[in-house]
Amino acid sequence: MTKTEIEHALAECAAQVLERMFFVCIHRENEPTASEVDSEWICEVGFAGEPSGHLGLGIGHKAASLIAADFLGEDQASLSGLQIGQVVCELANMVCGAVLSRIESGTTFRLDSPRLLPAWRSSGADAAVRLVIPEAGILNVIFSAERPVCPMSA
Amino acid sequence: MAYRLLIVDDSPAMRSFIRRVIDLSGFELSSCWEASNGIEALELLRSHWVDAILSDINMPGMDGEEFLRHLAADELLRAIPVMIISTDGTDQRIERMLALGARGYVIKPFRPEVLREALEKTLAVPCD
Repeated sequence: MTKTEIEHALAECAAQVLERMFFVCIHRENEPTASEVDSEWICEVGFAGEPSGHLGLGIGHKAASLIAADFLGEDQASLSGLQIGQVVCELANMVCGAVLSRIESGTTFRLDSPRLLPAWRSSGADAAVRLVIPEAGILNVIFSAERPVCPMSA
Repeated sequence: MAYRLLIVDDSPAMRSFIRRVIDLSGFELSSCWEASNGIEALELLRSHWVDAILSDINMPGMDGEEFLRHLAADELLRAIPVMIISTDGTDQRIERMLALGARGYVIKPFRPEVLREALEKTLAVPCD
């Protein structure tokens, strides 16, 4: 798959997860660069399969609180940092699974447990998208594979 | 009829979400237990009978595949219908889990109505 195709898959899968499970609509921003400034919550999910690699997801606190409240059915004000972190991890897990289900359609894969990181990895990503959650903030998603992703089967 | 369910997922947030979706969809529950992996689930099943199990696949300790194998090897527990809820939507994975005995498979992300319909179908399947 080309970088553009992977970025398209990242954007579509993130939009699908947020719409179906968090009842939030998003749109893609033109500048496809992950930003540290607006990602107070950063989560990474490693995966093993063909290919292996990791998916990173970064989101601002306001947007993270909003989606956590929607997901858990609680008021934003009552949420703990632990709860927000768990929901961000679950969001990353679902986006990663959805993306891999597309690009690894011919094989099975295994996901590691999502983990919160203090900062983005310094190594570059193969693909990145920047998505806007209206009135809440930015969702950055990056994808990095150990070797090029095989073409998607028809 | 009120059902007794067991939700097996290593994510507390996802367990909470599944429970909330089931509650909001009007599904009548008499009890709903939670476990974070297959080991905890098997321990819980020693003392609590359930009408259906909703299980993730990727879990530390004992994953969904091994959990299904343990259930299938138990004369009593093999009768409990299991519905898999996973982010893995690959054909190979779905076929493998159904071959191991799962009665239903829901891919995350799912719409709330999809979960309810799948659960109703899973519970309606007659046990062997």
